[in-house]
Amino acid sequence: MKVGLEVHQQLLTGKLFCRCPAELSDETGGSFVRRLRPSSGEDRRVDAAAAFEASRGYSFRYETGPVDCLVEMDEEPPRPLSEEALDVALTLALLLDARPVDEVEVMRKIVVDGSNTSGFQRTALVAVDGAIEVRGKRHEILSICLEEDAARKVREGRDEVVYRLDRLGIPLVEIATGPDIQSGPEAREVAEEIGALVRATGRARRGIGATREDLNVSIEGGHRIEIKGVQELRKISEYVEGEGGRQRALLAVRDELRGRGAAVPPGAPTDVAALFGSISSGPLSAAARHGGPVLALPLPGFAGLLGPRPGTEERLGRELAEQARAVGLRGLVHSDELPGYGVTSELLARVRSELGLADRDGFVLIADASPERARTAIRRVAERAGAAVEGIPGETRDPLPDGRTRYSRPLPGRHRMYPETDIPPIPIPDARLRRLRSGLPERPAARLARLESQHGLSRDLVRQLVYGGVADSFETLTARGHAAAMVARLLVQDVPAVPARSDGTAFEPSLEQLGQILSAASRGRIGKEGIPSVLRALASGSPDVDSAIATTGLEGLSPDGLASLVDRIVRNQASMVRARGGEAFSPLMGDVMKEVRGRRDGREVADELRKAIARVLGETSSAPPGAGT
Amino acid sequence: MARTESGASSDPLTVLRGLPSGQRVEIRDASGHAWNGAIVPSHELSGSRIVSLKLESGYNVGVAIDASTAVRVVGAPPSARSEPVPAGRASVEGDPGGWITLLTTGGTIASRVDYETGGVRPVSDERDILAFYPELEGSGAVRVIPVFDRLSEDIGPADWLVLAQRVVDAFRAGARGVVIAHGTDTLGFTAAGLSFLLTDLPGPVVLVGAQRSPDRPSSDGPSNIEAAAAVARDRRLGEVVVVMHAGLSDDRFAVHRGTWVRKMHSSRRDAFESRNGPPLGSVHGGTVHLLPLVRPPSAGPPRVDGPIDENAGLLWFYPGLTVARARAFAAGVRGVVVAGTGLGHVRSELIDWVRSVTAEGVVVAMTTQCLEGGADPYVYATGRELLRAGALYLDDLLPETAYAKLVWALGHADDPGRIKALLTQDRAGEFLRRHRAEGEA
Repeated sequence: MKVGLEVHQQLLTGKLFCRCPAELSDETGGSFVRRLRPSSGEDRRVDAAAAFEASRGYSFRYETGPVDCLVEMDEEPPRPLSEEALDVALTLALLLDARPVDEVEVMRKIVVDGSNTSGFQRTALVAVDGAIEVRGKRHEILSICLEEDAARKVREGRDEVVYRLDRLGIPLVEIATGPDIQSGPEAREVAEEIGALVRATGRARRGIGATREDLNVSIEGGHRIEIKGVQELRKISEYVEGEGGRQRALLAVRDELRGRGAAVPPGAPTDVAALFGSISSGPLSAAARHGGPVLALPLPGFAGLLGPRPGTEERLGRELAEQARAVGLRGLVHSDELPGYGVTSELLARVRSELGLADRDGFVLIADASPERARTAIRRVAERAGAAVEGIPGETRDPLPDGRTRYSRPLPGRHRMYPETDIPPIPIPDARLRRLRSGLPERPAARLARLESQHGLSRDLVRQLVYGGVADSFETLTARGHAAAMVARLLVQDVPAVPARSDGTAFEPSLEQLGQILSAASRGRIGKEGIPSVLRALASGSPDVDSAIATTGLEGLSPDGLASLVDRIVRNQASMVRARGGEAFSPLMGDVMKEVRGRRDGREVADELRKAIARVLGETSSAPPGAGT
Repeated sequence: MARTESGASSDPLTVLRGLPSGQRVEIRDASGHAWNGAIVPSHELSGSRIVSLKLESGYNVGVAIDASTAVRVVGAPPSARSEPVPAGRASVEGDPGGWITLLTTGGTIASRVDYETGGVRPVSDERDILAFYPELEGSGAVRVIPVFDRLSEDIGPADWLVLAQRVVDAFRAGARGVVIAHGTDTLGFTAAGLSFLLTDLPGPVVLVGAQRSPDRPSSDGPSNIEAAAAVARDRRLGEVVVVMHAGLSDDRFAVHRGTWVRKMHSSRRDAFESRNGPPLGSVHGGTVHLLPLVRPPSAGPPRVDGPIDENAGLLWFYPGLTVARARAFAAGVRGVVVAGTGLGHVRSELIDWVRSVTAEGVVVAMTTQCLEGGADPYVYATGRELLRAGALYLDDLLPETAYAKLVWALGHADDPGRIKALLTQDRAGEFLRRHRAEGEA
């Protein structure tokens, strides 16, 4: 298996080609509607992916808000490329031992799915030929690009797709590796290493969708498939392995098809709507009722190869259905799932006889109220079925939450790029590289080793700090005098455990807030056990740490108050204490903690409890209680 | 020194510059790094020793060439580009719906990116136009006639006459309407000029442009030209209009009278606005809506009402404008439109200048440089003195419309009194004289 990655990371620098802030906003004012059509580049050829998107005939609505301007609306020429973002990309080039270009030339990459108001994404190659080492293996870095992020899709209707402009133009660095990764887990590790490197610049944006990976996967005899826009790092492995499985299953189907001499016959599909006039249920009946065609595509030699195959969930039928869905149909019905869908055995027999099919032959049925759409769909299905005899067609696929992927569009080629003439080329003089080289950030591996020795924390914990992107916060807070272990636990455990907000955005407390919480805990104002509650209170709207502590009622138990609370509980159980001695500690600790409710630190409570038990026992004996617990 | 395949030594930059665009090369720098790609034209603002390569990935990069660069030519010279064959045109003969004529003059609407210079370059090839705009023929036949091949800043009054003659020719040949694709920078001037030069129009003359070049997927050209074609087929209209986006969306277009319209924004799609009054109509969902105040078609025959005289000027008053500079500007002209401040004012020392040039027979016509409203001499003393000094007040004419009218009027009379009479007379519905608060007619 060969896997290559494209890691995309949003930068915290303001937008790439205008001076809007790089922020998302749900505040919207007006909207406008546009149509896009593919255009040709320097060589006057239209890209296949662009032509495909245009063939869908969508119009696009764009919602505008406070963080966009006429540049994002494609109503004004772009401003010069953000020098700050270019510095970040060049810094990464240096960190990756890559060769920066001598002059950056901004390109237009044609994208007519509406995600860019202009119909193209501005992108520039900044450096090539780098390398990164992960677990002792050297991985090639093919390219480091700087590009603008696309508009955010809000919803999709049958004829209109709605986007919001806030995300459009946020700078992305795109780091592409060579196809030298061999497994899903390895892909994830390389992605993590690159992610940590970008975060080391201190200019990586955080939050949902700030990091997105494209996975290029192929297996021996298969074809490069691009899985686009994976947002969850931990799912990379699953997608990669899943794609390998899909290609293996489809190759097995291909071998079987070839053995049978299967082929998709040329020629028009047969309209069998007349046969379906009588059926009253299922997806085919509705179209037939609306007077649309029911198109049948014979697939000689395909019988039994369209449905599920032993040992895999992948099936050719699903691949064919994805083609129908890509042009707006809800799906199709194939012969391996019949009888069913309202098609009786008798009707099935009539269809087969109408099409003149033998036992080994399969077929596909497509119905739609629009004859044109049905014909477009069946043409695509026929192409896809034909490709199944050849092997795996190259595709771009969308990742789905369940770990599977879905056909999205053909793979784009080089015909989609032409120069962005509104931006003059940007020379990269040696002086600029010298300046950046003199201020390179520490590489993740070096930082890991340093933090480990400096703070005496476990390697695993330090790894979570560095690769989780919170090492900067860790160093700032420990430099302010907070205990390293407590800071680390707060950053890698307590903060990430706070549930995301209802709008899906992650809770990100400020360093000041974290410092105040740590101070409250170290001064004994709240117990360490109370920290998660304070964080949750902050996340759900408390304006500051003081009010969060007040909301949770964690405050107000003084050391004296704790002593008397513990004393009361122990004395209430005095007979049990006398009977069990030091063994009484554990059950009593539970009772005490219930009443303390995180208002004091656990260790302090334990000390107080030991003292109280000792006092009771001291009235009869002098043995130290609870030792070792 | 570069080592070429022939073994000859020369400056590697000279070697590379001598290769055809599209030639694949390997360029190896002193550090040993090799760039592999095809030579593409460099941006005109590229560094002097930069060669642009298109890499296999599709990206262009600039590679610095110095004496130590090694160049290796890879593979055969590129073969000639194959041009796509545009769709064939429908026959205009015998079309029962009537055909329209498209006159092209260049401009963004008929431009494509010039990868050599980095700018947009006009195209005049009829096949290119129809390949760009297949929607033109969606609602009927179109005859395409290239007239100029220029950006609009290079189109002037003499060209208005040429265009006017082509419009008349098109109507005489049987066109139902005429669309003129024109650059947007001076589109308002040309629209005004044609409004005065064309009389007895039997159908619409529609100027249209684009604010985004047609090589961009988001170009407004296709939808603008489709809307312009719909207006050109409308049988209720017999005047010169401009059709462009009415807002930011690609689904609504405004029909502006040629003498009321001005480019109000340097880049927005909806840059064109009717000043002082509403647009004459709109196009939405393929349907043309027109207000009752449109000028109906004439029984004809259409005619070019020339000649013109270009000895005219348009002077934008500013507070530091001295008599000497104004005098230098007016040297040799027969008429000057002054875009004055407010209701049509200039500093008091210029009043004497007005008095002296009008005494020499030069027509001085006052307009306002305000973006809305008209000129009026009676409200302030300056206006009254300018009037007494011989200035002519042109009410609510836009300065550029006044200039176009002056060019036309100078061609029609020698006597300043006669010229002033022509200027104040309504010829093309150019005077609005009624300004509603909400832009209603």
